[in-house]
Amino acid sequence: MSVRSKSKSTHSVKEIWNSLTPPLRPDDIAKLAVGAEEGAKIIDSKFTDWQAILAEIIVGDAFGADRMDYLLRDSHHTGVAYGRFDHYRLVDTLRILPKAPESTGSQSLEPTLGVEEGGLHSVEALLLARYAMFSQVYFHRARRIYDIHLRDFLTSWLPKGRFPISIEEFLTRTDVEVMFAVRRASREGGVLGNLAGRIIQREHFRELYQRNPDDIAENVDAASAIYEAASQVFGRENVRLDRDSKGGGSPEFPVLRRDGSIISSISLSQILENLPEAAIDYVFVEPSCRDEAIKWLKENRRDIIESAKED
Amino acid sequence: MSQLRRRRDALVLSLVDSLKSAGSWCGETHLQKAVYILQELTGVPLGFDFILYKHGPFSFDLRDALTAMRADYQLRIRANPIPYGPTLVTTETGKKLQERFSSRVEEHRIEIDFVAAQLGPKTVTELEQLGTAFYVKKEDQSRSIEQVAQRVNELKSHIPMDTAREAAIDVDGIVAAYASLAR
Repeated sequence: MSVRSKSKSTHSVKEIWNSLTPPLRPDDIAKLAVGAEEGAKIIDSKFTDWQAILAEIIVGDAFGADRMDYLLRDSHHTGVAYGRFDHYRLVDTLRILPKAPESTGSQSLEPTLGVEEGGLHSVEALLLARYAMFSQVYFHRARRIYDIHLRDFLTSWLPKGRFPISIEEFLTRTDVEVMFAVRRASREGGVLGNLAGRIIQREHFRELYQRNPDDIAENVDAASAIYEAASQVFGRENVRLDRDSKGGGSPEFPVLRRDGSIISSISLSQILENLPEAAIDYVFVEPSCRDEAIKWLKENRRDIIESAKED
Repeated sequence: MSQLRRRRDALVLSLVDSLKSAGSWCGETHLQKAVYILQELTGVPLGFDFILYKHGPFSFDLRDALTAMRADYQLRIRANPIPYGPTLVTTETGKKLQERFSSRVEEHRIEIDFVAAQLGPKTVTELEQLGTAFYVKKEDQSRSIEQVAQRVNELKSHIPMDTAREAAIDVDGIVAAYASLAR
């Protein structure tokens, strides 16, 4: 769709919304669609109680329709069964509730999104599915290193290393153009060809290190320490660091019990209390360095982690 | 970047411990409001963006930072007896981080302990009212107690005028107490 026709259709939709009684205001719709987190940056930073609830239903971290949709869709298309859960049951049991009391004799009356007790297992399944999809798919080492290689390629290929910000120019860069550029560059050699070859010839960097609880207990920045040390030994161009965590909030929400009382999900579910958070720390190395790097890390790992933890 | 983030995490973890010592339940709402006051009143540089949202001022950045701290085994959620919400607890790994950045934490010890002492004994309902009143006052410092109360009531309709007025008076008291401490 061209920019002009897109602009025209947006205008038409605006007219339709305005003609309804009561009118649907485009700014309100945009505000709810992006939610409070993004909306605060671009529109109005104040959400009424009901706007907050509506935004949570659409893009909320725990039960947002957007989250449910992408988990189910990605699970289906990747063939990974982890992402499935009983979304029918979950949607049927969603309720607008006051928050569970956070301390003795204190309960906020501000409405928030929760579930009936009968839907608690569906929520547990959703949150476990999310954890598994992050751990096994979104944070998988091969997927992450291809992201890094694609970013390296785009930074070299795009003028000034970034996508254009004018809409007309931006729309000329589709996936097709990028994939064609990667393929063509891989045949032409040079710096760009080398970057493209990582993707086309599957010459991607290989995993040297990934986080584990013992190392983090010793030094929470163990991966960074190993990355810095490896960069000195093997050259910064041959080493990549990748760190990320899922974000979002704790799995705490109100639960409506059959006797009408409202309690915290965490007090009722050991699964939610102990649900781990998906996070990654990877250090990758150029394939030709890998064997030497593994040997080097085996010999120096403890010293690197211990020596780098002082402020 | 990583060092800056770790220093900030150490300050937040220290606030968690101070709130607990001051008798706070220390759920996520308690911590959100305490970090807000620590940053906006005492000026401790934490760099979180707050908006008026859930139960008053709320920071998505802080929410994500707490989740990252849980992923890094520095903080954990502890369930409380039914029906109450959970408490945030620093772990041994979290205490190690505070030790690693102890000079940074000590630099802001007075501010951290001041905020913990002021907010620690308050319930989540009181913190929601206080945080909202502080946010409204900060929007326009010239607002009188009555104007702050009016605006709080407009923004959070479940907070009645009398309660909003008490929260506005409470805000003035905390601001004055910090001003005399800073002198």
